[in-house]
Amino acid sequence: MTAAIEIDGLSKIYTKRNGPPVVAVDDLSLSIPAGQIFGFLGSNGAGKTTTIKMACGLVLPTKGSVRLHGHDVQRQRGQAMRQIGAVLEGTRNVYWRLTAWQNLLYFGRIKGVTGKGLKERAERLLSELDLWDRRNDPVRDFSRGMQQKVAIACALVADPPIVLLDEPTLGLDVQAGRTVKRWVEQLARQEGKTIVLTTHQMDLAESLCDRVAIMSQGKLVTNRPTSELLGLFRQEGYDLRFRGHLDAAIVARFDGFAAREENGHTILSGTISEHDQLYRLIEMAEMQGLELLGVAQAEPNLEEIFVELLDRAGKGEQHPEDRSNGRVPHSTMREVI
Amino acid sequence: MALAGTVVLNEIQKRIILLWGYKFNFFTQMFMVGFIFVGISFFMSGGKPDPELLASGLVGYLVWFFALAAISDMSWGIREETQTGTLEQMYMSPLPTGVLMLGRSIASLVVSIFMVGISAVVLVLVLGISFPITWAALPVFLLTMAGLYGFAFILGGATLVFKQVEALANLMQNTLLFLNGALLPVDRLPAWMEIFAKTLPTTQGIIVLRRVILDGQSLAQTWQDGSLVGLVINSAVYFVLGWFFFRWCENRARKLGALGQY
Repeated sequence: MTAAIEIDGLSKIYTKRNGPPVVAVDDLSLSIPAGQIFGFLGSNGAGKTTTIKMACGLVLPTKGSVRLHGHDVQRQRGQAMRQIGAVLEGTRNVYWRLTAWQNLLYFGRIKGVTGKGLKERAERLLSELDLWDRRNDPVRDFSRGMQQKVAIACALVADPPIVLLDEPTLGLDVQAGRTVKRWVEQLARQEGKTIVLTTHQMDLAESLCDRVAIMSQGKLVTNRPTSELLGLFRQEGYDLRFRGHLDAAIVARFDGFAAREENGHTILSGTISEHDQLYRLIEMAEMQGLELLGVAQAEPNLEEIFVELLDRAGKGEQHPEDRSNGRVPHSTMREVI
Repeated sequence: MALAGTVVLNEIQKRIILLWGYKFNFFTQMFMVGFIFVGISFFMSGGKPDPELLASGLVGYLVWFFALAAISDMSWGIREETQTGTLEQMYMSPLPTGVLMLGRSIASLVVSIFMVGISAVVLVLVLGISFPITWAALPVFLLTMAGLYGFAFILGGATLVFKQVEALANLMQNTLLFLNGALLPVDRLPAWMEIFAKTLPTTQGIIVLRRVILDGQSLAQTWQDGSLVGLVINSAVYFVLGWFFFRWCENRARKLGALGQY
């Protein structure tokens, strides 16, 4: 699969007159495959927005490079900028005094698109976003969700193959958030665009992103397909549910498992790294005459994996994804037996 | 060329729409152009304005008003666009940023011509000022504007890096009003002040414009007496200096990550 975005040894260090230098991004290297929805996650100050802005050519890297479909952002700016459209967080991105239609035409022209093609593209985008009927209204009169749609439409007006969305659903109501989400999905799945989004909404990232990268203090903590990341943690945690109360002596035989009681049943929770180990435990339970009601595998969600990985990274662990590290994050259990 | 034309027309269209969106402010500004001129002329003439002196004052005053608009567009304008994020969107254009900035400047000038032009016509008619129109004034005016926008680029660049440059912009606007010969011909200033005044971006332009418009001199005459040469040098220095300083500031703002910061 070809890479839409290649980031190679990217660093950004802000030097300050009074005080130590601030490392915003630290030797970041990653490759984002074309046609995927890529989630950039991390807490505030992790370096996501700086990375996005370096990809947009708005911030100069201290070292390293960003290539968009093979075009270096610094050395081939014009070609590189034809590859992207971006909606940046915390600003309006469009002129609120202009109408939606005027904004699209204005930004289309400064992105080098003119004539009939521009008007057709603008009409299509506004129609798809249910804004056609209000195309002649000033953007300032729109709801927050509609304003965000106009900003996204402006980012797409030149039909770039890569779209960078910094917190695209921030501050939107549920319905507007869903519309934006559906549209992002459509752009990737039907039009083959590469979407890079930063978000603090883990459920959005989990449901939308093909791949996620988590950053912490300017460094890359992980960069994996979402399913793989979830699977990595899913394999670890199991709950064994037994009828009735289990004596401490019996619980002790399940090395590494913690017991708790719920509704008259005893649940043993622990880590099982191999399937054989699970079968040995089931056999042992049968030999002890214990009535096994079920086995459930931990269903981790991205939010807890995110918190856990950042926690591990914060402790300076070299490989925070290593399953042998501490607690298994999970919030829901999936019955496997 | 077609690209530059599209950029300029695009910017002009945007500016006119935005200007019309702030109609009240626009008409207030136009009224202010006239009101301040009438006020200053009244007080400086001891309550008896002389139409001949008014013509000389009007040339300087109108040039100063162009300066006011250019400085405002390049400092407050850039600051506002930094806040709204539209400046970052502009910098994500695949077109050369130089072309975009020149397009913006030309659009700013065209809109100012429209605004100042209407005010000037009203003043000439109401005050009965004799203000001969001559095509020879056009190249002098454009040269003056080139220097002025070069100067405005310096403030625009400073805005990109430092953000809060209102005090400096105000200082420059007022300095130009009092020292560029708009109110008082610079040869009446003390010698040291006259030298300083002539280094400012619009002073030499006003001197040459007065000679061409009011004294009926040809461009050749102003070239021979050195005033046009002085204007060419002054404007070239300001334009080149302003342009390179602005580009340097752009680069600096990118290094500081300040293009979208306020």
